[in-house]
Amino acid sequence: MGPSGSGKSTLLNMVGMLDTATSGEIHINGYDVTRMNSSMRAEYRLKHIGFVFQFFNLFMELTALENVMFPMMLSSHPFYEERAEELLEMVGLKARINHLPSELSGGEQQRVTIARALANKPKLLLTDEPTANLDTKTTKEIMELFLRLNKEQRQTIIMVTHNPELGAMADRIIHFRDGVVVEE
Amino acid sequence: MSAVVFYAVKDVKKNRRAFIFITIAIALSTANIIILNGMVYGMTDDLVERTIETSAAHISIYPNEKDKYIEGLGIKEQKLESMEEIIAYSPRLSSGGALSYREKSKTIKLLALEPSKENRVTTLLGKIDSGETLEANDRSSILVSYRVAEDLKAKVGEDATLVFENGNSKVYRIKGIMRSGTAMDLNTVVINFDEAAEHLGLNNKASIVLVRLSDISFSGEYKNKITRELGVQKVKEWKQEVESILSTAETFGKISSVINAVGLFASAVSVGVIMYINILHKRRQIGVMKAIGMRDSQILSVYIFEAALIGIIGIIIGNALGYAGTKYLEAHPFTDPITGDMAPRFYP
Repeated sequence: MGPSGSGKSTLLNMVGMLDTATSGEIHINGYDVTRMNSSMRAEYRLKHIGFVFQFFNLFMELTALENVMFPMMLSSHPFYEERAEELLEMVGLKARINHLPSELSGGEQQRVTIARALANKPKLLLTDEPTANLDTKTTKEIMELFLRLNKEQRQTIIMVTHNPELGAMADRIIHFRDGVVVEE
Repeated sequence: MSAVVFYAVKDVKKNRRAFIFITIAIALSTANIIILNGMVYGMTDDLVERTIETSAAHISIYPNEKDKYIEGLGIKEQKLESMEEIIAYSPRLSSGGALSYREKSKTIKLLALEPSKENRVTTLLGKIDSGETLEANDRSSILVSYRVAEDLKAKVGEDATLVFENGNSKVYRIKGIMRSGTAMDLNTVVINFDEAAEHLGLNNKASIVLVRLSDISFSGEYKNKITRELGVQKVKEWKQEVESILSTAETFGKISSVINAVGLFASAVSVGVIMYINILHKRRQIGVMKAIGMRDSQILSVYIFEAALIGIIGIIIGNALGYAGTKYLEAHPFTDPITGDMAPRFYP
């Protein structure tokens, strides 16, 4: 948690290896990921990291099902279509699997994003202000989904948020200010 | 289906308007190249074919360097007749002259030939626009090219005075008006060989002898054989006769290659710009691709595959358009007042 510009999203992007650190090292599961080349980082992201963005960032030309299938096609998952259907059912969108993102509400789009992020069973789910564009009711539904994933599937989730109420649901909170951890 | 191909196809479908535009640009530039090349080669073929048909035959025998005419025509004709692959020959006399009709007069090129022999070598006497062609032993008639007839406002069946280059003159009936589709149409008058020889005092002489072989591929071999056996120095194959046409066509070919290259470059630039703008709009999409674990090479492959797909579709459509355009122009050829109809050919 922390105010705008404090470095929360930058940290998340570095953990997700989308940005590279100007100095220092990042260790995930014992690996120094800063030493990985571009291909290795992509492979690591594909298999071990899932992203959920503030603006959903679905592929607008793909249906909900295809959006969820796509990372599994990249990792050559043998039953990508069946698993994508299961994931969409898990996030409560079984009836909407053949809809394009433009035909879905914000909450539905975010649930598709979560299903896509979970496609390759990642070790880490990185979420950047995932409820910032959602109304209170949908925010609650999405947070319940995250909590369920965390408790039932033991999914590690790192969430960036401004919202102290959402922060209060976490097991561990790190406060940032001007790029520095100020409280843990 | 690989993830890259899957995504590229979906992306093309989603952005179909931009891609249709690019495809049209590629198709038009491909069709343009096909039609332009077809025009150059088709016109060359037409001209070469017409020249062989009407004035070059397979082999042409000319007078020796110092002579104006081929001497001893009778003996030479006998020798030509004895050669196995020669199926026909036609001696011609060419000279200058003038044709007068009513108050008008025009300088002409006089071409004298023997219809019975000429018809076995070329199709020249069949190129009649109106009236009838010259028949064997018809010494009282002439054929005039359509430009001469137009200039003199002369019509078939009327009488005109032919003035030979030695000053002799005689009145002939215009039996037919010719249109050969060659430069001959500008100012030629055709007359019976013996009639011209008599008036010009050119007994047993010819300006040129055209030879037709059983197969055009023997022309090289027979050129040497005729040179040797007839004791003549200047014998040309059809290829040498159409050399100027071929070299002109080559020049046109080079010009059309430059036009094609400029067209291709312009098309490539416009396609490149459209695709670049298209990809610029997809920066966020590329970011998401990276986030879900696509390698840089896979992301690049998506856009290369899209470009290849559009390129292939554009080229296929362009080929179809080029084929249709060429066939249409072949059926509706360009008419040139001097050279006649010109049509492109389709060269796949």
